[in-house]
Amino acid sequence: MIDTLLDYINSFVYSTTEGMVHPGLAAEWVLTVIFLMFTISVWKISRHSSSISSAKLPKISIAKISWLGGKIQLMIVKPWVLVSFRIISAIVFVLVITAGLFGTQIAERSIATTLTWTLWWSGVVISVFFVGSAWCAICPWDAIATWLVRRRLWKRGDELSSFNLRVPRAIRNIWPALAMFIILTWLELGYGVTTSPYATALLALFIVVLATISLAVFERKAFCRYFCAVGRTLGAYGGMAPVALRPIDESVCQSCKTLECFNGTKDIEPCPTHLVMGSIKQNTYCTSCGSCTQSCSHQNINWQLRHVGDEITYSSRPHWDEAWFILGLLSLTIFHGVTMMPYWEDWMSNFAYLIGDSGQLLTSFSVAMFIAMFLPIVFYSICVSWLHLIIGRQEEWRRIFSAMALSVLPLAFTYHIAHNLSHLFRESQGFLSVLKNPLGIDVQPLSMQEVHMRHMNPIVDDTIVFALQAFLILFGFWLGLRIFQQRLHSLDIPGKGSKKVFYLPLLLFISVISMVNMWLLMQPMIMRM
Amino acid sequence: MVYFKLKQLIVIPFLLVLTFNAIAHHVLGRPSYSLGEDSNTPPSMQVETQLGEYYITYMAFPAFPKPGESGRVNLYASRIDNGAPFDGKVIFKVRDDSMFSSKQERLGIQDVDDGVYRQGFIFKEAGDYIITAEFESGGEPYIIDFPLRIGDPFPIGPLGISIFVIAFVLITVNITQRKRLARVKATQHHSDKASTSNN
Repeated sequence: MIDTLLDYINSFVYSTTEGMVHPGLAAEWVLTVIFLMFTISVWKISRHSSSISSAKLPKISIAKISWLGGKIQLMIVKPWVLVSFRIISAIVFVLVITAGLFGTQIAERSIATTLTWTLWWSGVVISVFFVGSAWCAICPWDAIATWLVRRRLWKRGDELSSFNLRVPRAIRNIWPALAMFIILTWLELGYGVTTSPYATALLALFIVVLATISLAVFERKAFCRYFCAVGRTLGAYGGMAPVALRPIDESVCQSCKTLECFNGTKDIEPCPTHLVMGSIKQNTYCTSCGSCTQSCSHQNINWQLRHVGDEITYSSRPHWDEAWFILGLLSLTIFHGVTMMPYWEDWMSNFAYLIGDSGQLLTSFSVAMFIAMFLPIVFYSICVSWLHLIIGRQEEWRRIFSAMALSVLPLAFTYHIAHNLSHLFRESQGFLSVLKNPLGIDVQPLSMQEVHMRHMNPIVDDTIVFALQAFLILFGFWLGLRIFQQRLHSLDIPGKGSKKVFYLPLLLFISVISMVNMWLLMQPMIMRM
Repeated sequence: MVYFKLKQLIVIPFLLVLTFNAIAHHVLGRPSYSLGEDSNTPPSMQVETQLGEYYITYMAFPAFPKPGESGRVNLYASRIDNGAPFDGKVIFKVRDDSMFSSKQERLGIQDVDDGVYRQGFIFKEAGDYIITAEFESGGEPYIIDFPLRIGDPFPIGPLGISIFVIAFVLITVNITQRKRLARVKATQHHSDKASTSNN
């Protein structure tokens, strides 16, 4: 009976396609996840009145772990450790640029495309789950820009090296980062930067130029804080990370009068994003640059371990621009999945025929991307309006929109990771051969046999990938509901603890998006290279 | 002396940028491995596109031709509605895609051969070219452009632009800030002098 049902579901989902595709999530995993999602929903609603204070949640500073604390402390207060990593990262970055401009233009044979898109772009999102925004600390764009503008390897730069202007008020938010994220997605999926080493190198160079100009014109690291799509994505996801830089002893920060973390010292740069460690509540804008750990005269800053998702559940403050960034992330990650389905090209082709588009179908792609971006946002707005209506409009619509967006973030994050696992585990085969010949001198495109061999021998078994993907979707659903429950309690609604009906709008949104994400994972996915 | 060095710093990258041709990438072709062509495994550059009533597949052999090396462009065109191949005449042209160049010539007019239009070429000079295929169907003109790079691309273009932009910004910021500092010091000196003479 169950076998027949699974066969029926599989026949409904899969379609015969041309070309190499990754297998989609098997139906048995999907049924298990759906059952568990239903159980979690019932359990959450039945315990709807419970709320937990963030103060009760355990947090451990790594400094207090006897066998590890001292070593980590030594590493983070000495600048040379971070500088060494930055130099390595910059060398790899220069290699990518060189390979893209001078090396082979066969995407699967060039380190520019394989390292950038298959390993880094897939892996950097997954890294947040383990090390938060640590990537930003060794980001080559910022490292190179800093060396060029400040003309120092690590010490605080000359004040004259930059105009140190304040960023205009109109763009002192993360709308520019959202715009850049949309442009990057368009370039990646529409223009096809991922399959062109040359275009990849140009994009990387362009971002170095932007970071350098920003550093030379604006105060501190305005590019990291307001403009960088990668940094803001990692920052948004960083709220769910199990690690963050925090004071070891909060009372030391409370009595601190010098605020070296914010102001810097003679040798150490101030916080690049204007954070004061004594009052930091969320990781969104922390770039893990190490300035605070190095400048603190009390050596009171270290990595802190906490529960995954605690920060975003209890202490993150909702903001209008951040809410839009989160929704943008959700829409664009879903759109990513849609464009890698085998049906996508047929849909594009039919749509182009309908509107009279021709050539690379960039107009059709742009219109489809615009529609795909706004569908989840419109659906979210409807659900928020419904919630606004049933709670009696005591709260501003805008405040509910911003607060509830935090419960959407785990859906974007977990789907993003689940999707990237396919790229990372199934497409990074053969990277060693690229590493041996990074410029791809005298190489030929992959033969059909090689493509087939790569496809048939992923570096991780499919069952493990399926299990991880199923777990991630379920985890995102659970965390989304948990955040929603907590955020609902933080709203100023009379009788909020007693009405189950308040759960319906966002439960509907979270469930539908989780199902869409799972449906996308069930589809066979076209190999990128 | 300092002025001369600054002038050098600005002028040299600027000349570098002007001198080198821009590398055009109109359509991103995908290098692929095509069996069954002249030799058994020549790499090719392939672009699939959709234009009006037709699906069009364009291939260049070899994928990255060198100056003096013979190559060929293949074009397949089939109707979107019923898959019927186009069987009229196709005109192939080529134009130099370098900046400030308007050289253009006709490569040839080809008839369909087993559903495929084949146009051979040999380029003597390295550079960026656009191959254009033109045909007419149902009273409508169809024009397809396909970029072709002969020889290795010159990579200094984007590097030169980046270096020039960065150098320009850094030098401008530095000069402006130093002038501002000098002005502040001068003002301070004058006010100090004025207060001393008043005393």
